[in-house]
Amino acid sequence: MSEMDTILDAEERGRTGLWPFWRKLYAQGDPLPAFPAPAARAYRFDEDDPLPEEYKSLLLRMLRHEGERAGNKSFLGLMATCLDLAEALFPDRESKLIKAEYVAEELKHAIMFHRLAVGLERDFALRDVPYAHYSFHLPRETWADDAYFHFFVDLNGAFHSRDWRESSYVPLAKMATTVERDELGHSEMGYHFLQQICSEPRGRELAQRLLAKWYPAALDMFGRSDSPNVPKFIGWGLKTIGNAEIRELYKGYVDRKIAALGLDVPDERRDRKFL
Amino acid sequence: MSAIAEEIREAYAAVGITLDQPATFGTYYRLLCDGCGRMLGQVGDKLLPGMAAEIVGRQRDLYASGLLGCACGHQRRMQEKPA
Repeated sequence: MSEMDTILDAEERGRTGLWPFWRKLYAQGDPLPAFPAPAARAYRFDEDDPLPEEYKSLLLRMLRHEGERAGNKSFLGLMATCLDLAEALFPDRESKLIKAEYVAEELKHAIMFHRLAVGLERDFALRDVPYAHYSFHLPRETWADDAYFHFFVDLNGAFHSRDWRESSYVPLAKMATTVERDELGHSEMGYHFLQQICSEPRGRELAQRLLAKWYPAALDMFGRSDSPNVPKFIGWGLKTIGNAEIRELYKGYVDRKIAALGLDVPDERRDRKFL
Repeated sequence: MSAIAEEIREAYAAVGITLDQPATFGTYYRLLCDGCGRMLGQVGDKLLPGMAAEIVGRQRDLYASGLLGCACGHQRRMQEKPA
């Protein structure tokens, strides 16, 4: 049995009526909005191909932001916070187990991205890159905070992974479908907890208030709409879509889900730091 | 302690929550109840300047109503005290 088969077997045995959360979503069709059709691919690079300097620099920059690498201490630190919160705040034992499945799946990504990093630049595989965006650092003081973190932040990962399906870097394109599916499942896990929280009035009141903290951060995660690097990423085939466009698709998705919880969607310009 | 971590420490001290030592590789910190020491949550040290005070300030009524804060009631009692 190969390394990956062992992981897949372990995943299969971890399945419950709820986990993995992506299963129900994809069974109903493609859960993500349609991205604009990408331009014809001008470049295509595989693991051992020599990479143009700018291309490699942009790819490494993208992977630094992504962060899920076994050799990235800061990623492991973030996972430790998830376990800490699960221990301290979990509402019931099932939720605690679900969070353990979540961490296991993120560690699977850490192995996948580790292999990709080693194939790209060996020194990068062990580089510690703390998450720079403030959304990864917002205080999580309740299970509702933690649920929002997963609903919004993991969903950001799913949207970017959807874009990577078309990546000109073949090793990234190959893993994109798995990462997208898993990250969407993690987001749906957060949403599942939000549904539970919003099912009673005090929970809904708390969720509405905390939404004002998480919603602007979620939209800010896509970066500035006029980022000068985006045309370079698109030109090299590392992205197919600009920051403003992917943010708009994401916003449409989360707004519908927020409304379905019975919550008011905040003003999209309120408290934004990166427009 | 970084300037941002110091900002976070000050913001939470005002509502009866202690910023613990860095929990994991210096990036994330546990939030502990000042009253009983129970862990209440986590926060990272890459918040933007001024953000911690703004977030905690906006949450004061949530501590007062018991929607946030420790089950021991310490933060709620802190909000009842005159400033």
